[in-house]
Amino acid sequence: MGEVENAQYAEAMFSVASAENDTDGIADELFSFSQVFQSNDELRSALGDRSIPTSRRTQIIEDLVGDKVSATTTALISMVVGAGRGSDLPDIINKLVQANAAAGDRAVAEIRTAVPLDEGQRTRLAEALSQKTGKTIEIKAIVDPTIKGGVIAQIGDEVIDGSVRRKLALLREAF
Amino acid sequence: MSYTPTRIGRASRMAIVASLLVAAMSVSFTGVAHASESIGGCLAEHFEEGGEEILASGDEEAIKEFDKELESCIEAPNPILPELDEIIYGGAAFVILMVAMWKWAVPAMKQGMQARTDRIRADLAAAESARLEADGMKAEYASKLAEARTEAGRIVDDARQTADAMKVELQAKAESDIADLRTRAAGEVEAAKAQAVSDLRGEVASLAVGAAEQVIEKNLDADAQIDLIENYINQVRS
Repeated sequence: MGEVENAQYAEAMFSVASAENDTDGIADELFSFSQVFQSNDELRSALGDRSIPTSRRTQIIEDLVGDKVSATTTALISMVVGAGRGSDLPDIINKLVQANAAAGDRAVAEIRTAVPLDEGQRTRLAEALSQKTGKTIEIKAIVDPTIKGGVIAQIGDEVIDGSVRRKLALLREAF
Repeated sequence: MSYTPTRIGRASRMAIVASLLVAAMSVSFTGVAHASESIGGCLAEHFEEGGEEILASGDEEAIKEFDKELESCIEAPNPILPELDEIIYGGAAFVILMVAMWKWAVPAMKQGMQARTDRIRADLAAAESARLEADGMKAEYASKLAEARTEAGRIVDDARQTADAMKVELQAKAESDIADLRTRAAGEVEAAKAQAVSDLRGEVASLAVGAAEQVIEKNLDADAQIDLIENYINQVRS
């Protein structure tokens, strides 16, 4: 799948979210779904398999997130999967999140931590990153126990890695 | 070289045959002349010239004289000087023979001799030519033989030089290969040593890091996680 096509899908989905007047909420739900999608091999395989009938794949989506996210979010995911582009969902959603942040003159910071952040930590972290980058930061938090501790922040192409995993890696390299 | 009879050769043989015939005739003439001068003839002549009357007369003196005449008939001829008629016939035959021989035999013999001389000369010339040709061929053969020997010598020299060059080249290559092998072996030993050191270091690092991870994971409780997050926020802020 090409970048251009993914961007067009993301733009179309953002237009739908804008029409619903809930771009932030839909973007958050889609981002959360994207995290689940990427971490679950079975789900990724099922939704990306074109040999499975479309009705079956959309039914899986309904069963999985139908009662947890908005109907618009469910419909958007079903649309992409129904078009046979399930394997491109993470990239499309990432582009949609970026487009939503850009529309609000914000930058998306993908924050990985070993334990969930509380509201206070999110706020202080957003303020700190805003101060460092000079942009309004929108936090997208991901819980990733593999980093063992600390925080990894990715804003666009810039990565600020303060994880325990990286410190251990540096320790290993020092030998 | 084979000899083929020629017209000149046949004429020569004919002249010889004719001479022989003339000689035979002269001999026969001489025989006739000699026969006419035999003892019997002599006695008959004496009887015809009055011998019978003398005998009939009974004159002893006359008879004795007649006996002497008869005895003269039986005297031996001159062993040196032949009779006149023999000389005439023999001389005529000789002259005829000489003329015939001078007329036919001698020219034929001269022609034959000349032809033989010419033939021998031609044979000698041909033999000389053949000898010269053989000498030329021999010289050519000798030249080619010498050339072949020179070429063979050159080939042998070339082969020897090539063999020497190959020997030197192979020796140099063998030495180079040995040097390369030594260098490579030394490099491989060094690499193996470095790899062993690196593996050992990695193993030690892995053990150390593994131990550190275990220690860290044991100590990373909720408070420690919060402290890490707060420290991160403070570092970003600073």
